[in-house]
Amino acid sequence: MEKTLAKDIGFWVMLGIGLAVMFIGPMVWGLFEIMQITQYVVLSVYALSLAYIWGFGGILSFGQAAFFGLGAYTFAVASINIGETTVPFALSFLLPAAFGAALGYFMFYGRLSDVYLGVVTMVVTLIFWKLINHTAGPEYSIGAARLGGFNGIPSIPILNVPGDAKAWLDPAQMFQAFMGILIIVYLCLRLIIASDFGRVSVGIRENETRASLLGYDIRRHKVIIFAIGSGIAGMSGAMWATYQTFIDPNAFSMEMSAKALVWVMAGGVGTLAGPILAVILLQWLSLKLGTMHILNNYFILGAILMGLVLLLPRGLLPSLRLLAERLWHLGRQKMDASAASRKATSDV
Amino acid sequence: MSDAHILTTEKLVMQFGGVTAVDNVDFSLKEGELRCLLGPNGAGKSTFFKCLTGQLTPTSGTIKLRGADITGWNTHDIVNLGVGIKTQVPNLFNGISVYENIRMAARRKHLKPMAKEKAEQMMEKCGVSHLARREVGLLAHGQRQLVELAMVLAEEPPLVLLDEPAAGMTGDERDRLADLVLETARSAAVIVVEHDMAFIRRIAKFVTVFNRGAIFREAMIDEILSDRAVQEIYLGKQADVAA
Repeated sequence: MEKTLAKDIGFWVMLGIGLAVMFIGPMVWGLFEIMQITQYVVLSVYALSLAYIWGFGGILSFGQAAFFGLGAYTFAVASINIGETTVPFALSFLLPAAFGAALGYFMFYGRLSDVYLGVVTMVVTLIFWKLINHTAGPEYSIGAARLGGFNGIPSIPILNVPGDAKAWLDPAQMFQAFMGILIIVYLCLRLIIASDFGRVSVGIRENETRASLLGYDIRRHKVIIFAIGSGIAGMSGAMWATYQTFIDPNAFSMEMSAKALVWVMAGGVGTLAGPILAVILLQWLSLKLGTMHILNNYFILGAILMGLVLLLPRGLLPSLRLLAERLWHLGRQKMDASAASRKATSDV
Repeated sequence: MSDAHILTTEKLVMQFGGVTAVDNVDFSLKEGELRCLLGPNGAGKSTFFKCLTGQLTPTSGTIKLRGADITGWNTHDIVNLGVGIKTQVPNLFNGISVYENIRMAARRKHLKPMAKEKAEQMMEKCGVSHLARREVGLLAHGQRQLVELAMVLAEEPPLVLLDEPAAGMTGDERDRLADLVLETARSAAVIVVEHDMAFIRRIAKFVTVFNRGAIFREAMIDEILSDRAVQEIYLGKQADVAA
């Protein structure tokens, strides 16, 4: 009766596609494609951070960029000071996760309603953005790392092999490492969602009152969910920083938060694969539209998104799934009907 | 039934602005007792339940569960101490299956394999096994009532609160429910809020009547049904029909 992860075809399909892309991609793509797809991979990890907390915990955060930026700056500052990237990478998960837990504690134990939660997360992002924009002077340094204000931090170290600070990854290796991280994040989230903790999280998303009437401490659950999402967003920020070897306050921008919301909404809230699909489609579309110079990129993207929300309110993946199910049933009905007519003919 | 009290409230008051929904209620329930709460709409029965389960913090007064003062406690702490409630409007996890709903309740008390077994037992007991894979949000009201009841019973609480459990049920479902309530009352204390007099007569012995937030009468069911004052405030012709 219980559908375990091992029996979920979708999970294995996603894992298979991920591994195939990871190993075959660098053999068939040129440098430009690899760089481009690496960007999609980083943003997919970022999208997963919101896909998890919104889709499987019912927490709608308008400020996921706060954790993305925090992770990016944590990585930048730590890697410049330490001179290697393994510990900074771990810190880029841990620090945003700790900050997310602290913020979540005040929000959820303070019993903030959804609307106020959205406002608080948005305001926190704006505070970070404003704060980091005002750190241009030389006095704003952490060790050897100058925060640089609106100019950002340049020359962020490229990811190195753990334990060997001189062994930097080339673009193809970085792509494979990031694909590995995306697969691990996806796998971990699927395992969490399939666990008892994950089931309760879905229960909380569905009905908080009933979850607490069953004896579950929904505040504690939500803090943990929010912290996990914050850590993942922070880690994607570090991936972004090392991929670009540069980070600026735009990492904390409202645009960055809004993008995550758009990807999750377009891909399908309550799915993990959907937002990844949306990142790839919409980022690819942005790139193509940007090179065409016909109309403003944002204008066309906005129109596409409005169309998606109006025509496919469940999102891309759930709509595709529904379509596939209907086609499957239709096919089976036709097969049954033709089998019945064959039988009737042979009886005659 | 033991003489020890599982639940007592002393001078319990719940006010919303100028409205007193629960007014100085002194209520007590013995271990293993089955009690029915009657009263017209707005009498304060559901608000009383919400105070007992921590969904509302009383304005004043105390609530004691097996001697522990639980006034103002968080809902989950009260539930973990041994209170299960089926709410007036079924509170369920609509987007997931019947089985998953009940299993999530069973998991509070049992380890994984036992929780599965317990969930299956409760589905069987409440007659919803055939709906196991159905999404709860798609069920009829009576079926939802049974699913919520199964969830409450899966946690095996020593105090069960049932708020209008028979509402929206078919005759068969109501009969099954009455049997279930009587069976539950053999191992737990049960408080039932209900308006369906045929159902009440089937299960009730001792009855508490609420009116305007306060306890109006406490007596055996037959006495209550023949009490003219009670009939005037609430029962009306239903009493004659039921009798």
